Amino acid sequence: MTGTLLFQSLVLGVLLGGLYALLAAGLTLYFGVMRVVMIAHSAFLILAAYLAWYFHEQTGIDPLLSLVVTVPLFFAVGVGMQRLLITRLRPVTLTMMSVLLTFAVALFIEGMIGFVWSGTQRRIQLPYSGDSIEFFGAQIAVVKLVAFGLAALSLGLLYLLLKHSRFGQALRATIQHREAAQLVGIRTDRVAGYGFGIGLATAAIGGTALSLDATIYPSLHWHWIGPLMAIIVVGGLGSIPGAALAAMVLGIGQSLLQVPLGTTWAQTIFYVALFATLMLRPQGFFGGRLAQRF
Amino acid sequence: MSLATAPRNRRRRGLAAGASLAAAALVLTACSDDGAGSDEGAGEDDPIVIGISLPLTGDFSEPGKGVQRGYEAWAQFLNEDGGLLGRQVELKILDDQSNADRVVQDYEALIAQDQVDLVFGPFSTRLVVPSARVAEEYGMLFVEPAGAAAEVFEQGFENLFYAAPAVADDHYNYLADYILAMPDGERPETVAVASMDDPFAQGTAYGLRDKLADGGLEIVVDEVYPPNTTDFAPIAAKIDDSDADMVIGGTQYQDAVNLIVSLQQLDYQPEMAAFSTAPTNPEFASAIGDKTEGILSPTGYTETASYPSNVEFVERYTELHGNPPGEDEANAYTTGQVVAAAVEAVGCAEQGECQQQLVDWLHSNEVDTVVGPLSWDETGKPQGAHLIQQYVDGEIQIVLPEDAMEAELVFPKPAW
Repeated sequence: MTGTLLFQSLVLGVLLGGLYALLAAGLTLYFGVMRVVMIAHSAFLILAAYLAWYFHEQTGIDPLLSLVVTVPLFFAVGVGMQRLLITRLRPVTLTMMSVLLTFAVALFIEGMIGFVWSGTQRRIQLPYSGDSIEFFGAQIAVVKLVAFGLAALSLGLLYLLLKHSRFGQALRATIQHREAAQLVGIRTDRVAGYGFGIGLATAAIGGTALSLDATIYPSLHWHWIGPLMAIIVVGGLGSIPGAALAAMVLGIGQSLLQVPLGTTWAQTIFYVALFATLMLRPQGFFGGRLAQRF
Repeated sequence: MSLATAPRNRRRRGLAAGASLAAAALVLTACSDDGAGSDEGAGEDDPIVIGISLPLTGDFSEPGKGVQRGYEAWAQFLNEDGGLLGRQVELKILDDQSNADRVVQDYEALIAQDQVDLVFGPFSTRLVVPSARVAEEYGMLFVEPAGAAAEVFEQGFENLFYAAPAVADDHYNYLADYILAMPDGERPETVAVASMDDPFAQGTAYGLRDKLADGGLEIVVDEVYPPNTTDFAPIAAKIDDSDADMVIGGTQYQDAVNLIVSLQQLDYQPEMAAFSTAPTNPEFASAIGDKTEGILSPTGYTETASYPSNVEFVERYTELHGNPPGEDEANAYTTGQVVAAAVEAVGCAEQGECQQQLVDWLHSNEVDTVVGPLSWDETGKPQGAHLIQQYVDGEIQIVLPEDAMEAELVFPKPAW
């Protein structure tokens, strides 16, 4: 093992952590605003990746431009899904039933992707797919850098939106205490709908970023949902900065552990972290008073 | 009392009569089955039903669909030519979702409930082993297109036959011989191996790895990754860091593509690169941006092979699909040919004793197929080695062995 390899792994870990952070942010947002466990999040992620691939396939234009369509589309689908499906669940059993409901949605999406585009494994080929930039001895793939940049930018925007806009304040108030938010005049139903839409919009961005550097197939989403769920629990359910931090830590951890342990064992870091969190600090390591109430 | 018992007796007698009628009917049907045989009388119009479970979704969906195309082409061509034993064949294909539990359920259902006449195997060792066990329990002949790892033949299966030229460990034999025959100082000295945690993928890669290690080459990286791995950058980083002269990938499809792209992103340039399965896939070249030059891959099948049934198969298949068949399609077709040869020779296709006769016939005979003449040892292991192909001038061509060569092996491999 050399220093270069360690540094290279660290860089790869940061790049991977960035993508995890964006995806986990969306997932934790659903839980925050709605107490919904959104199993279909990664299915939407793959759907977005397929849309980016299809867009590139049909037009030959850079898949990043598909965001212009997919982000508003996913936002609308998210709002629609919250208003039409999630709110029909009884509040008492909402969290548990949302697992079933979104599981069904995930299966539906996977099936539809397979139906429309077949199970053939797809990959976007760009002129810069194999290119990389030298960075202090480490090679950074351009596509990974673009994906990371996209993730960082969207997370930054999400942060600004939540911290510095009236809507963001309303959303955070809804996350913190729904009844109190209602008492001060926030229309929590509408806010929750928009929150759900924003969560799904992160899946659109994440999926497009993913499509730049991954071979995609309909059942790929099952490989993503496990680590993402672990990340949001470690980060503290409902806490976006917590999810982002946990994603970074676990992403880098996975990448570094791969050097001595190999791929198989490095994957277990998510589940080890999950168990450790549940045993030692069930409310999560970074913020998140929310989970204490469950 | 007597008044009360009389009707009961009568009823009982009626019951007995009914029972014996039913029994007679059963005996009669049984007789007609035995006597007239299934190729005459009532059975003549009935198609021969072949039960198959394939991974049409999930991890193996890509090759699974290839196998499906091969089976369907076989059935269609056979039916156009008049069928098997004068009967049409009908395929009953279920989707096991690449799941080993599902595949067991599927074959149980096909054999016990649907009473299919014959079964064909699924794709890949992970699914072949559990399903072969089911077939073995029911005494069914089990010819399979894709279970090539050593463990398939270590289970003591007596009804299993692998319908391809060689098992996984022997795929790279020609390449291993070629490398070891190179003069010292010229041949690669260090080798990096990365393989999916999958019996078939590991079989191919480790067959070559072990032969090279025995020949004095140094194995500097030996990585195993689970089948659900999608991020290959860390493995590529390790291989790049070792700066090995040669890289061997025990791969299926998406893992090879992702690993190669990751290696390209790190600007790792080996002298020799060999990957199982993926390079023979028609999607492969475009998936890695046509930077394929010099990539080696073993193949059990090539459309250009001149075996008589292959020439016909390629022509008809191309007419049907607009593109020539790949290895998965060919192996599936071979499975059909092997079973058909046995059925024609023995003259039966149904559950029961017939299956054992089919098994016995295959153990003692050679079958001409699209991948050449096949024969098997007592474990069902075919007796041969795979051709080695390489991307030369943008096309995948046979480079080893010499008597089948379409192009000279390129070494060292051009940069990708």
